[in-house]
Amino acid sequence: MERVFELEAKSEVLRGLRRELRLLLGDAGWNQKATEEIVLALDEALTNVIRHAYSGKSGPMKVVFRDFPDRTELTVEDRGARFDPTRIPEPKLPREKPGGLGVYFIKKIMDEMIYDDSFIQGNRLHMIKRKTTS
Amino acid sequence: MKIQMNHQGDVNVVELEGELDFHSSPELRARLGELTSKQAAKILVNLKKVDYMDSSGIATFVEVFQKTKRYNGRLILAGLTPAVRGIFEIAKLESIFEIAQDVQEAISRFLNSK
Repeated sequence: MERVFELEAKSEVLRGLRRELRLLLGDAGWNQKATEEIVLALDEALTNVIRHAYSGKSGPMKVVFRDFPDRTELTVEDRGARFDPTRIPEPKLPREKPGGLGVYFIKKIMDEMIYDDSFIQGNRLHMIKRKTTS
Repeated sequence: MKIQMNHQGDVNVVELEGELDFHSSPELRARLGELTSKQAAKILVNLKKVDYMDSSGIATFVEVFQKTKRYNGRLILAGLTPAVRGIFEIAKLESIFEIAQDVQEAISRFLNSK
């Protein structure tokens, strides 16, 4: 199963996308806890696009949801400034300063987070969650 | 997100309802900032009706916690839903924040510390 979401990079779109994603993840067989975690991972990835790739300015972002028997994949694409979240160092926990947890959440929740260096038009981030580990 | 502020005795109670994310957290940050700027001694945030929170929401509470600590105020978070509690667990924040089961327990803690 594949679904593509073409979105404007602004915080107002996040809630509606989360609603759609919950339904897709439920259909893909994820339980409620795992669904909420995967929703959070995608939300953090999109928040990074809005904050870092576009610095709050408008621009397009695309989410591709793909479900396979053994895994669910999410790909986030934008046309903004280069931002590679895989290079963000892991924060020391518990973190007593605000911020710096978004990428940590993605790494913790998803089994793989791959930044596509070959995508020169902007950023492309792949996130994979394997069903055997749920 | 709905934000309602009221008082129970000398406790500032902040009732939240909805999803706390990158879009809604700036408003909450501003409202809680009103309390910390006047150095409110006792702040209770009821999260019973918050079914989703991201790192922006967490950052908002970490900021408020740090501010209250600076002026010897106290922040208690109450009524965490399973989804929100899960996020606190992932971030290992349960050791930082004072967390109560519900509003009643939080109010009792404030009263007992008088």
